[in-house]
Amino acid sequence: MAIDTKKCVGCSDCVVACQTENDVPIGHCRDWVVEVMDGTYPQLEMELRSERCNHCKNSPCVRCCPTGASHYSDGGIVLVTKNECIGCSACITSCPYDARYVHPDGYVDKCTFCLHRVKKGMQPACVAVCPTKCMYFGDLDDPGSEVSEVLKKRKYKTLIPEAGTKPQLYFLI
Amino acid sequence: MREEIIVSGRNNPLIDPQLHVWHWEIPTYLFLGGLAAGVMFFAALYYLRGRENDYRTAVKLAPMIAPIALALGLIALFLDLHHKLYFWRLYTTIRLESPMSWGAWTLMIVTPVSIIWSALHIKELFPNWDWKFDFAKELIGFFQKNKKVLAWIMLVSSAILGIYTGILFSAFNARPLWNTSIMGPLFLASGLSAGSAVVIWMSKNHAERKRFAQLDLMIIGIELFLIIHMFMGFLASTQVQIDAVNLFLGGPYTASFWGFVVILGMIVPAILEGLELKGYKIPVAIPVVLVLFGSVMLRFIISNAGQASRWLY
Repeated sequence: MAIDTKKCVGCSDCVVACQTENDVPIGHCRDWVVEVMDGTYPQLEMELRSERCNHCKNSPCVRCCPTGASHYSDGGIVLVTKNECIGCSACITSCPYDARYVHPDGYVDKCTFCLHRVKKGMQPACVAVCPTKCMYFGDLDDPGSEVSEVLKKRKYKTLIPEAGTKPQLYFLI
Repeated sequence: MREEIIVSGRNNPLIDPQLHVWHWEIPTYLFLGGLAAGVMFFAALYYLRGRENDYRTAVKLAPMIAPIALALGLIALFLDLHHKLYFWRLYTTIRLESPMSWGAWTLMIVTPVSIIWSALHIKELFPNWDWKFDFAKELIGFFQKNKKVLAWIMLVSSAILGIYTGILFSAFNARPLWNTSIMGPLFLASGLSAGSAVVIWMSKNHAERKRFAQLDLMIIGIELFLIIHMFMGFLASTQVQIDAVNLFLGGPYTASFWGFVVILGMIVPAILEGLELKGYKIPVAIPVVLVLFGSVMLRFIISNAGQASRWLY
């Protein structure tokens, strides 16, 4: 997934869409918006980022899971199998992005890239609802996909690549 | 100045504003597991060296604490789980990359071994003990015959248990303070120190107490050496590691770490044990309680401070 920080206005529609689509319990978020303010007044620069699980290629959460509940699914999407998860929280402490939380039912929950929608050929809820169309979702291995095209044209960054997780969420800058 | 805030109101319980997903259960278990590892390690070591009659407490009596400590520790671990009824999932798979999986399987070996070892020596504690059933007597006879093999299993598995209590932390690369492999040997040393302290406390034999006081002194020296190296490694590393270790060098955990763990938990008992070896009369309970207290505090402080340390972005 690629997210255009220049287009994002920080409206949090993605957050609400995700909560509705995925029945996220009240008081919890699978995605969230971060505002970064840089500089000294009046020379200020602001960046807005809609953040979520980075679906890392080298996921510490998958590595440390003692039961295999955290796993790589189709296309490298990182998922949690509810009835294999014992709720030990090892994955929560291992995630440098704090992208996971304990669901009130006991298992650990996180962004799934709306795999249930993607399988039907639809976009993830956050992407579909974004009013500024700042998100691009698709197959990064397919050089012709929209997300691959936009990453060819634009400058981008990933979050804390130095943590060695190979994050797969690209922020266009 | 750079300022970063979450504007969408993310307030996930146990995670925001600061991670605190592990409470008292994990450090309590790590202490009890380390203690059990310590007493079992010395029991196996001195049995294999043929010193079971010289160091009777260490080989025969102190290991009886292990199954109790492990049982209490396992209860704490169970309480920590959020999806409790699925705990058996730990035993349907072996995940070599997950330290918690290693730990679960190690406990599967260590716990029965500790119970068997205690059963073999139960008559030391209760001379009139009767196993009542023939199959129990046969089973005990079988283990008595193979005690040497059992001791070797106990030696290796207790060392793995002791190291694992630290490695559990160091495998989580999101928390810079934990992210050092020194945690493994440090927690092992701390567990061995707690184990030898318990032997000193329980033993009535002067020679045995002297030997374990010497051992404890040496182990405390190793612990201090490991702590200094941990700090050196962090301070020579990247900004996130420097920030993490600053929690102990002026940050919110400075007083508790240096005061409770290093001074009260290591240096003071080391001085007292040293004085005792020189012939001064010191109530044995004081250094022992201090060592156990330091061992508990080390786990609590590392667990809490580690959760407060994070990557910056």
